[in-house]
Amino acid sequence: MLTLFTDTDTDITPAIAKEYGYRLISMPYSVDAKTVYPYVDFDEFDSRKFYDLLRSGVLPTTSAISTERYMEYFEPEFAAGNDILYVHFSRAMTNTFDAMDHAVAQLKAKYPGRSFHEIDTKGITTISYTIAREVGDLFKAGKSLTEVLEWAGNEVDRFAMYFFADDLKFFRRSGRVSGLAATMGTLIGIRPIIYMSAEGKMVSCGKEKGRIKAMEHLVQQVADLGDDFRSHRFVIGHTDAPELAREVGNLIRERFGDNFPIEYVVTNPTAGSHAGPNGVGVCFHAKHR
Amino acid sequence: MDRIDAHLFLDMVRGGAARLGTGRKAVNDLNVFPIPDGDTGDNMYMTIFSGCKAAGNFLGEAARNVSDAMLMGARGNSGVILSRIFAGFAKGVEGVSEAGLEEFSKAMQSGVRESYLAVSEPVEGTILTVFREGVDAASGSNTLGEYLDRLVTAMEQSLEHTPELLDVLKKAGVVDSGGAGLLYIIEGMRAVFNGEAVQLIEESLPNASQAVDISAFTEDSVLEFGYCTEFLLRMQRSKVDLDSFDETVMSEWLASHGESLVFFRDGSIIKVHVHTHTPGDILNHCQQYGEYLTVKIENMTLQHHENHMDERFRKSRKAYGVVAVASGEGLVETFKELGADQVIEGGQTMNPPVQSFLDAFDRVNADTVFVLPDNSNILLTARQAAGMYKGSDIRVIPCKTLGEGYYALANLDTESGNPDEIEAVMTEAAGEVVTGLVSRAIRDSGDVREGEFVGISGKEIVSSGESPENALVSLAGALDAGSHDVILVFQGSGTAEPGQAVEALARQYPRSEVILKPGGQPVYEYIIVLF
Repeated sequence: MLTLFTDTDTDITPAIAKEYGYRLISMPYSVDAKTVYPYVDFDEFDSRKFYDLLRSGVLPTTSAISTERYMEYFEPEFAAGNDILYVHFSRAMTNTFDAMDHAVAQLKAKYPGRSFHEIDTKGITTISYTIAREVGDLFKAGKSLTEVLEWAGNEVDRFAMYFFADDLKFFRRSGRVSGLAATMGTLIGIRPIIYMSAEGKMVSCGKEKGRIKAMEHLVQQVADLGDDFRSHRFVIGHTDAPELAREVGNLIRERFGDNFPIEYVVTNPTAGSHAGPNGVGVCFHAKHR
Repeated sequence: MDRIDAHLFLDMVRGGAARLGTGRKAVNDLNVFPIPDGDTGDNMYMTIFSGCKAAGNFLGEAARNVSDAMLMGARGNSGVILSRIFAGFAKGVEGVSEAGLEEFSKAMQSGVRESYLAVSEPVEGTILTVFREGVDAASGSNTLGEYLDRLVTAMEQSLEHTPELLDVLKKAGVVDSGGAGLLYIIEGMRAVFNGEAVQLIEESLPNASQAVDISAFTEDSVLEFGYCTEFLLRMQRSKVDLDSFDETVMSEWLASHGESLVFFRDGSIIKVHVHTHTPGDILNHCQQYGEYLTVKIENMTLQHHENHMDERFRKSRKAYGVVAVASGEGLVETFKELGADQVIEGGQTMNPPVQSFLDAFDRVNADTVFVLPDNSNILLTARQAAGMYKGSDIRVIPCKTLGEGYYALANLDTESGNPDEIEAVMTEAAGEVVTGLVSRAIRDSGDVREGEFVGISGKEIVSSGESPENALVSLAGALDAGSHDVILVFQGSGTAEPGQAVEALARQYPRSEVILKPGGQPVYEYIIVLF
């Protein structure tokens, strides 16, 4: 048997995880020295409450989980004779996977017959959500592990994600975006456009004046890079900006018609800690990232 | 010389301490990360100094004793990491009586490993990077002498590079303090290896109460950085099973209850360095595992006020700096948030003198300084100051309104490294902006009665209204606000809440983003900036 894992940084909720049989690894964040494990310490994510906290000036931190914690997730599966496929957020954004590698190495030594596979979505939040769901869909459609891994090898780089942020202070604090101009501080009315690179990192690729231009930039990226996106999942993610996300969705509809579904997903609190509130992003199937 | 024995090693440690002793205060002044509390040099010095009293007959033993003594004496983030470098080195030469190139190189690599392991979230651009890159570059040397030369050179280069890796360093115009401290130490060790005599002067160590200015934390101060909390805990058999105890449970808890955690276990002793707002919680929690050997808690908001910058490390000569002019608390804050190094208070009723600019240029201390005036008189003054100032290349962007200065600064991108290009982009940006002002008429003039509110653009009155809000909305219309992407409104210091005016603008100009910010400016009820 194969057990599927994903983590909460992919925006997959327990309900969706259940639909595909994913087991969910909880990636923590801390507010006021209190660590919260999503969907362990709460059942439902109150996104308004969380992002309002950020709006009030709170800057949460996030931390990597330990080797031991990975062991707790994985060992019961190996012990029960199951293999593992873990669809996770980007290795290039964290050192938590070093801890995972240690855990897997130890477990493989202990359970020599078992195998561990991973799909690095090379992103976080919306893009990882989209890929994790597509992977789940493939299994549901009866594809084998080999087929899914081969699909991932070709397709992960063909999901693009472009988004804009409202306030750079969250990104600047985490230092996880490259290419932000040296002295760019809190820009009022100007939004940097950021994308997930093929290396799985966030890279800034320009800035736009005003909300409309920023939204139009996202739509233009879909026009320029989009490839067969109607037959894949099309997801709009947001950090508690449902109206703004809906506006982007309307622009997408105006430009590309309504013969494909658009899904709206709120960004998980751990990734949101680095992005801040009022951001919106689109994820779509593309020629390249 | 091709081997290092216990005697030479101990002398080298003392040489390292002596060299750091001379540079200690310079290192303090570099300290901006993770907390700018100005004590890195002192902490590292106290850490290595405690290792200087150690002894040993063969290298493995000497290194172990130095490491143990440093464990007891380690202070501060960089100090604790330093002690882990020596602990790793000691592990690497365990059982070795004297080290040749190969053993030494291996032990240094072990030092790198150990230093990274102790930090829960290693940050590059710090002492960790400087040591790692030094050791990487030195491996492959042919002799110990060459090894140490290459180590020092590579560490110098790595240190130079730290501001590129850590934004806070770049902003402050310094290199990493812990890395600089370690470079002093390694230089001192190399000097002894090359035959220089050790001159370890037992200078009085600074104690916290002497070095710290307690007036920096008053009755009204806010605890911004929390407390640097350090302790050595001896785990107790009565409390935990020492053989099966998993310290990661403890380190995970600490990582989630504080920042800048450095944590390691050495036998039954646990060393912790952590920044927290509630040290009591940390101490109470950890006592369940054992009893404290030593505890040190310092309020990090108390800065160590000294100034002994070593010119060698003085990077505050930045490539680029910005001086803006604005008046009003909110506006000054806005410019600072946007990245202005200095904001001179000035505006319509308050033209700053030339001297204010000259002083600001001095304080910025950059090769190229961009200046953003906020009216045409101030533009002239700024140009005059620029002509007089010889210390930097001063570029005055011809901004005649606050809005132009704001948008020019928003377009500052130093990526190209070409001041002409940067200036051109900023100047062009300033030219794209339309600024309008709302003010109360102080006398009858044309159709406007005294006490009414007028909308001004350039020198012209373009709108009027009975309330500031009416004047604002009609001003926006007169300036064709709808043709701009952003309508930024700064509210004046005495202006009442704008009520429906902002919603009216948003409704009227659906393709523009309307943003209201507290500007706190005098004279003008509103400043409207269109771009």
